[in-house]
Amino acid sequence: MTRVLVADDSETILLLMRTRLEMAGYEVDTAADGQEVVDRWHHDDPAQLPDILLLDAMMPRKSGLDALRELREMGVETPVLIVSAHQDATDANAPSELEVSGYLNKPIDFDDLLERVVQLTSDRV
Amino acid sequence: MAVIGVGRFIQQRQDFEDAIARSYQVEMQAREQLASGAGGKGARATAIREDERRTGLREEISADTRDTALLVAAGLIAGLTGALLLFSGLISSMRRPLEELVEAAGQLAGGDRSARVQIGGLSETATLGAAFNEMADELEREASQRDQLDRLKDEFVLTASHELRSPLTSVQGFAELLMLDRDSLTPKQVETVEIILDNCRHLVRLLNDLLDLARSDAGRLGITPQPTEVAPLIEDVVRTMRAQTESASQILTQQIEPDLPLIYVEPDRIRQILVNLLTNAHEYSPEGASIGVMARAVGDEVEIAVTDNGPGIPESQLEHIFERFVRGDAGLTQRVGGTGLGLAISKSLIELHGGAIAAASTPGVGSTFSIRLPATGRAASAAPGPNAAEASR
Repeated sequence: MTRVLVADDSETILLLMRTRLEMAGYEVDTAADGQEVVDRWHHDDPAQLPDILLLDAMMPRKSGLDALRELREMGVETPVLIVSAHQDATDANAPSELEVSGYLNKPIDFDDLLERVVQLTSDRV
Repeated sequence: MAVIGVGRFIQQRQDFEDAIARSYQVEMQAREQLASGAGGKGARATAIREDERRTGLREEISADTRDTALLVAAGLIAGLTGALLLFSGLISSMRRPLEELVEAAGQLAGGDRSARVQIGGLSETATLGAAFNEMADELEREASQRDQLDRLKDEFVLTASHELRSPLTSVQGFAELLMLDRDSLTPKQVETVEIILDNCRHLVRLLNDLLDLARSDAGRLGITPQPTEVAPLIEDVVRTMRAQTESASQILTQQIEPDLPLIYVEPDRIRQILVNLLTNAHEYSPEGASIGVMARAVGDEVEIAVTDNGPGIPESQLEHIFERFVRGDAGLTQRVGGTGLGLAISKSLIELHGGAIAAASTPGVGSTFSIRLPATGRAASAAPGPNAAEASR
């Protein structure tokens, strides 16, 4: 089963994402900030690590982009979608070395989100 | 010099007069001797000699007077010339700082807030320069305060829009979740959820529009123009709008002149404007109305016009139609979902492209909104196009 790790500082959004993704048949794990995301790679069983990351651009403690930078420096190649509350998600444009697979705006278009998740996780198989 | 000349002249004149008086005395004595018969030949000669001598003296003194007059005149001219030189020196030492002041004032008026003058020269011009610099400092302070306020406002709108998006995501997301299971909902519940979703979409539009306006005000509404084909752009927009117009049984037609030149625009922004114009035409026109999009070349520009045969816009509203939060007739807006910002943003965007937007309407007959955009070959500039005045008609 494909594992998705969603990071957002809003519990309601995490609940919404979990519901939609589980309905689409994914195994969903959530994190409240960027630090929790990075910690997965420090403590978790490698077999439990996610196949794709959905990171909110702005989170307390550690932002999505800061967490991503740390992961890339650790050599983690998991595909990442950045979710941004900006009108134009590319406002949160990350440098190319962070290898962001795509950007999504809030409010989230779930049809678009699910389509991209399917595409990015099937690429890896 | 002239003073010395005059002094010497007076002294000489005194000497001459003394000499003449003495000569006259000698002649008189000689004539008295002659008259008394005592002088004889010697006295006569003395009298004649003294007379001649005085004549000579007089000639000498008149020549000397002329010389002195010339000397005095030369002295006066030299003095005047000196004074003039001194004065012109004074003028030129004032002229430079004044010219600098005029130049700096021009720069300041032209928007260069850093324009200052060097303080120096005469005390009068130095005071003037110092006063000018003080005024320029004050202007710069005010302008930077204004800039800061603009930035704060921009930041506020950006933050507010950002903060509102998260709860909006939840509201919209959970409403959509309900709709995924619509079979288990009653028709009344479906209608309720649809209203929630409609209003979510409206809020998103409002947030996007407010952000666009804040950016436009801050001069940060950027465009990336590129040579763009007109026909596919219009066809795409018409396709997008078709579902909405058909739901109101409205007839949507397009009429694009063949072989239109490319326009120099950012396609997404022009699409946004055309969607706005067509949405207005759709929402303000009754069921069964006709809406048309026309495109034609006009000089080195392309004109795209959106026409409807709806109720039209009264003249009193037409002149404010491109202002913020100005919307059509209140009776109609009850069912119209606009934000009142669409046309204001469209106008800003069109002007950013170096084009112009204009509205014409006859109540009871219909309305036409037309935009003009520069064709390639003519670079788009930030300056409003030649028809910009028409827009505020």
